[in-house]
Amino acid sequence: MTIASSASTKTGRLALSERIPLVPVVRALVRRSLVAITRTPSALAPILLMPIFFMISFSGSYSAITRIPGFPTDNIYNWFVPYACVQGAAFSGIGVGFTTARDLENGFFDRLRLAPSGRPALIIGPLGISVIRASFPFVTVLPIGFLLGADFPGFGGLFMLAMVSAMVSGISGLWALGVVFRLQSQRSLGLVQIGIFSTLFLSIGQVPLSVMDGWLHGAARVNPTTNLLRMARQGFLEGVTWEMTWPGLIAGIAMLSLLGLFAITGFRKVEK
Amino acid sequence: MAVDLCRSFGEIRAVREVTLSVNRGEIYGFLGPNGAGKSTIVRMLTTLLRPTSGRALVAGFDVATQASEVRRRIGVALQDAAIDPLMTGNELLQLQATLHGIGRADARRRGVELLERVGLSDAAHRRVQTYSGGMRRRLDLAMSLLHQPDVLFLDEPTTGLDPSSRQNLWEEVRRLNNEGTTVFLTTQYLEEADELAHRVGIIDGGIIVREGTPADLKVAVGSPTLRIDVNPNQFVSAQSILSGFGEPRPARQGRLAIGLDDGASRLADVVRSLDEVGVGVVHMQLDAPSLDDVFADATGRRLEGHSEDSGDSQ
Repeated sequence: MTIASSASTKTGRLALSERIPLVPVVRALVRRSLVAITRTPSALAPILLMPIFFMISFSGSYSAITRIPGFPTDNIYNWFVPYACVQGAAFSGIGVGFTTARDLENGFFDRLRLAPSGRPALIIGPLGISVIRASFPFVTVLPIGFLLGADFPGFGGLFMLAMVSAMVSGISGLWALGVVFRLQSQRSLGLVQIGIFSTLFLSIGQVPLSVMDGWLHGAARVNPTTNLLRMARQGFLEGVTWEMTWPGLIAGIAMLSLLGLFAITGFRKVEK
Repeated sequence: MAVDLCRSFGEIRAVREVTLSVNRGEIYGFLGPNGAGKSTIVRMLTTLLRPTSGRALVAGFDVATQASEVRRRIGVALQDAAIDPLMTGNELLQLQATLHGIGRADARRRGVELLERVGLSDAAHRRVQTYSGGMRRRLDLAMSLLHQPDVLFLDEPTTGLDPSSRQNLWEEVRRLNNEGTTVFLTTQYLEEADELAHRVGIIDGGIIVREGTPADLKVAVGSPTLRIDVNPNQFVSAQSILSGFGEPRPARQGRLAIGLDDGASRLADVVRSLDEVGVGVVHMQLDAPSLDDVFADATGRRLEGHSEDSGDSQ
């Protein structure tokens, strides 16, 4: 089939870029998400309130674990505040999954796919949104944690926590995109949540490895989230060290790479 | 040039070896009932869906191997105006401009121009969730025109619109076409295809069953359709009499329809013949061939949701 071009009949044509740069497109997609947040701020409630709720409730329920010999801190908030920040970052991926699933269902994603801009923008854009959304719980949970009694981890400790939050938001965003691209429905969000919650719970989120037993101990030991949590917590516990940092970096980079592949192959299914 | 375009979804063959050609500056109407394969073809031509087999070129570029080049040259308004309800008309146009690599100054100028053109200047700063269905369609059209596409795809653009909004959209499509834009329009409305399209392709079951100008297609059907309602107990006698005047045509239950050979000049003969055998006529009408007759002639069925009484009665 040939549908002919009528370009030659037009006058005063726009100057269109030969190659559409990635950054403005990603920025435009992020801006769209921020506009949506400002117009429906209630959508932020889950990623702000849930980590705060978990932080307070876990700190109350598990306060006795600080009395276990060898527990790295006697202040329960030092243990749970970074965990709550990481949780908030993980939940930001659910938000990205929700927005993308809704766009796929109502056809807005087709509009994005109809643009001649490069395909990477359609994955990097939502990823950028995920990282920005992760900053909201970071800047709310942390001050509340300090008010409740968490110790200041130093700027190095804060930087480690921010870095892990960014990585976790990227990881959860890519996981959500991979699932949503494959199932192309908001119903897929249940699976996204199960993945995120189980990965967090089967780690050293609540208690250290030393007090775990049986299969739970085995699962938490091999779960790369454990390394990420060690990296995030180090400033709050025994200070920032390279020994606590590199396993977290490797775990983060490996998860980002694998889930990046998962999201890309999922996107190819949308294109079919 | 025209290559057998096919698309299957598992076992279902939605589009089967479709071959057609659209000329520069033409409005091509793609007419068919729901599920005929219209939208699947549009999605393939606009690079949203890969053909299972076959080849398609749009504006000279292959939809499968040169998708990005195709996307630069097409504007698309899909069946459901997929517009983010939280954004304003203005914001959506700016987003569309960025997606197409249009600079900020050009985007602003073009946005103002298009909003004015589709009559949405006053609503530009309002969230889309406050727009009516017609306003959303017009914004969708404006977005699809932002980058000055050579080929415009409109997938059932007036479905769900009131008559006045439909007329406005038709006028806009004509105006765009007069300015040189090639338009590929899918519709399930006979009137729309008849009013707008220079050429029409009729699709059913994933196959193009007829193609040509509306006038040629109607002429090809031949004689006008005579529709008669009689008392149910005289149906068989009437059927027998009418068979002498032309070939039977599809009609709703309880109604007789034939293609009346030699048209209106035989009408008096039909009435006389029916009267001679005592058949009482409850209702009689003679319709000039319509695109629905073309569809019925090709498929043996009437177009879904189209009343057979809507033809031009003589």
